[in-house]
Amino acid sequence: MNASLDHIHFLLRRLHSLFGLIPIGAFLTFHLWENSQSRFGADHYNLEVVSALQEMNYLPFIELFVIALPLLLHAAYGLAISGQMRAELSRYPYARNRFYWLQRISGIGILAFLLFHVGTTRIQGLWQPAVRDDLYGHMQTLLTDPLVFGLYTLGLLLSVFHLVNGLSTMAIVWGLTTSAQAQRLFGYLCIGLGLLLGAIGIHGLLGFLP
Amino acid sequence: MKEWIHLRIRRQDGPETPPYWQTFRLPYAPDQNVVSVLMCLRENPMTTDGRQVEPVAWDHNCMEEVCGSCAMSINGVPRPSCSALIDDLEQPIVLEPLPKFPVVRDLLVDRARMDAGLRRVKAWIEIDGIWDIHEGAPRISPAEWSASYLYSRCMSCGCCMAACPQFGPQSDFIGPAPLAQVRLMNAHPTGRYDKTERLHRIMASGGLSDCGNAQNCVRVCPKEIPLTTAIGELGRQTTLQSLKDLFGQG
Repeated sequence: MNASLDHIHFLLRRLHSLFGLIPIGAFLTFHLWENSQSRFGADHYNLEVVSALQEMNYLPFIELFVIALPLLLHAAYGLAISGQMRAELSRYPYARNRFYWLQRISGIGILAFLLFHVGTTRIQGLWQPAVRDDLYGHMQTLLTDPLVFGLYTLGLLLSVFHLVNGLSTMAIVWGLTTSAQAQRLFGYLCIGLGLLLGAIGIHGLLGFLP
Repeated sequence: MKEWIHLRIRRQDGPETPPYWQTFRLPYAPDQNVVSVLMCLRENPMTTDGRQVEPVAWDHNCMEEVCGSCAMSINGVPRPSCSALIDDLEQPIVLEPLPKFPVVRDLLVDRARMDAGLRRVKAWIEIDGIWDIHEGAPRISPAEWSASYLYSRCMSCGCCMAACPQFGPQSDFIGPAPLAQVRLMNAHPTGRYDKTERLHRIMASGGLSDCGNAQNCVRVCPKEIPLTTAIGELGRQTTLQSLKDLFGQG
């Protein structure tokens, strides 16, 4: 009998780790880049960016099996294991300990944000064709509300943090970075990536404002 | 010049009884450590308000930070009490039993879980078998030796586990110290024979993947053992091991 197939625990953890990067992290990066094109205006965004995606072949399969299902598995398993945390932030005020805590808290925050975000865009678009046809206008109406804009900014920053911090710990989990120096340098690289993705995301959000 | 050493100690009469606090005051003397102060206290265990109480129970042995038995929480941080010098500590010095481990009495804890973790990961080297496996002295390069030596300094004090947010009664995580011993034993020329078995043991529930990479362990380790490097190296070893398990040996 294959030993690591016995160790479903190990495979689940590694699958959870992998899904965070591929496809979810890759999708988030694509999603932020795609929506950063909001700055080119309603016509370009609706006709070039959104409709090109909507007309993709096999789109529902991609949405279900490449985005939704891995995301649900990642979230469900993450929630299941987050109960193990007993963070003592004041006793151990180190950056990695704070990131460890925020990784779990942000996961829960992102889940709440995604219910709202996907619910008011993709799901609402299922029965309101107007949302699909003029996504730019729909997003503009949503984001003009300062509360929604604040929620989106928070959701965006939490997601970017969760991705890049996850990436830096993933490198340790899989054994890419072993020495303290390698872990530190890769951490800085992840911070740089996070700043870049955050900037692209905020740029995209601002592009929807009138 | 200080005149007194102020102690605030969390006490507990037995494993099942509720904890309570007592404060003590002892005459100051230079160059004391927490163990020597507790020894002085044992001679005349009288609280600050003048009550004669039972002497404080705690564990200690070597007094030179190699046995690990005297670890406790000192001013909120887990560390061995023999190397905690009074002159370096903020007063009142708050002493609590080592967090996460079940209290036996006062500052004495039961570290059976440390032993169970070491047993579970097979943190030893088989030198006897049904045939002689010791063909001459095992050769280790000086570079490999000096890297492995860091892990051999572990004294099982449990500070890394006390500081770990993933370790405790809520989880079956074995903690950083036993994992570091897997790194050490897997690198040994004879210990390598059991490398696969050790890796399989830490690939199960409660093993390596229960680490959350908060990295408090490496911050509190009194022996400055590169615990997070061990965890990264074991991450690589288990990645390769799982590939061998899934696709066959290479």
